[in-house]
Amino acid sequence: MYGYVRPVKGELKISEFERFRGVYCGLCHELARRYGFAARFLVNYDFTFLAMLLAPTGPAKTCPRRCAAHPIRKTVCLESCESLALAADMTVILGWWKLADGAEDKTFPASWGCKAACGLLKGAYKKAAARRPDFAAATEENLRALQALEKAKCPSVDEAADKFALILRAAGGAAEDEKTGRILSELLYHLGRIIYILDAADDLSEDIQTDSYNPLRYRFEPMDGKLTPEDEKTLRASLQLSHNALAGAYALLSENIYAGILANTIYLGLPAAAQAVFAGTWKTKTKLQKERSIS
Amino acid sequence: MNDPYSVLGVSPSASDDEVKRAYRDLARKYHPDNYHDNPLADLASEKMKEINEAYDAITKSREQGGGGYSYGGGAAYQSQPGRQSAGQTGSYAQIRALINANNLAQAEAMLNAISTHDAEWYYLMGSVYWRKGWMDQAGQFFRTASTMDPTNVEYRNAVQYMNQGGQAYRPAGTGMGDMMGGDAACNLCQNLICADCCCEMVGGNLIPCIGCR
Repeated sequence: MYGYVRPVKGELKISEFERFRGVYCGLCHELARRYGFAARFLVNYDFTFLAMLLAPTGPAKTCPRRCAAHPIRKTVCLESCESLALAADMTVILGWWKLADGAEDKTFPASWGCKAACGLLKGAYKKAAARRPDFAAATEENLRALQALEKAKCPSVDEAADKFALILRAAGGAAEDEKTGRILSELLYHLGRIIYILDAADDLSEDIQTDSYNPLRYRFEPMDGKLTPEDEKTLRASLQLSHNALAGAYALLSENIYAGILANTIYLGLPAAAQAVFAGTWKTKTKLQKERSIS
Repeated sequence: MNDPYSVLGVSPSASDDEVKRAYRDLARKYHPDNYHDNPLADLASEKMKEINEAYDAITKSREQGGGGYSYGGGAAYQSQPGRQSAGQTGSYAQIRALINANNLAQAEAMLNAISTHDAEWYYLMGSVYWRKGWMDQAGQFFRTASTMDPTNVEYRNAVQYMNQGGQAYRPAGTGMGDMMGGDAACNLCQNLICADCCCEMVGGNLIPCIGCR
């Protein structure tokens, strides 16, 4: 959805990479199985991370599958399971709301594209919302609150980020025990906070040009579409503190078979994304560059 | 108790050195400094206790006589609470107690009911934000507190801690970058300091361990 939460592929073992691709492909198949072909286009790295994070300890079942993107050689996919189902449902719910938001906010022709996609996925959204009523309600409530903050030109980065962080926290679903629930809540809250702030920093110059809301415009005093070095330092220190909280929470979770990939994403992937966002190179980097480079 | 070897993640045939290395890495991971004023600090200290017990059990069963190796454990951690309320009276002491008990809504309500905002007020409000995960606002309040009362060590430490981005565990080999954009050399320093802490810690020398930060 945003793409900041991804492992640095060059630093993955080959077995880890194959396992990672298995979850990504598995999520795509799960989306098609549960919600039809159109929902496949919502597949993303953020919810692949969630599927891995929520996977139980113990081995996972895989099977080779063909798809439109891999018509000749089958890929080894993770078989349908509880964590994939949850990730697929959450993907449809958040994806649909994001499109609905885009239909209102964006200008022609992007807004029409969002509207069309929204219409196409309406049935899928209804199904997903019926399956996960708590998450659908939390998403709607917090996105509405975020819209209100946008209208009021809220100058607090924390307050705006809080709404998105609460959505991600709700995406953890109901944990099996109280301890795991506490850990996941803390982890996902700070992950959401980091995603929101990175996205705001990435869009800053564009938002200034189009006069759209961005909390950084009102919290700091950007010059020429950029934060001053002093302000950037303040913002990045606050991101680092969230990253510490995220890493501290992750260290307390029981390890599953995705531990290597999750650790790579947290300790290398997120800092690499932050580095590129603040260097202003995230948007211009190609897909391949994002996957290969550490900084 | 669980099997001490599986707690440390080593096989029963591991050498003493391997056991020690595994113990040190885990002790570094769950060190209380990484959970400074963190809502999950209790879970981390539970883990710390678990690995201490496992390490003690292994060293004892191997009859190496190395009992004094393990880190002070939960008790030592309890002795450095986030906010001490000693010497304070009235509502501020009460608010500190509420924050320590993670009752943030009530602490915030009590702070909002106070009309005169002195340095301590800003510091405690910053602490509430910190616990909520609102790091940017926490920093702003800590800075205001420290500006209003520059002589207060507690406020100054909070500002410094924020500015340097706190402290956290990084697994070996991932010291390449952080969210602050620190360069590799800087991280190397940090790792060395970390390693230093760890050695002192394992030697049971707790005070210099905390002091070295």
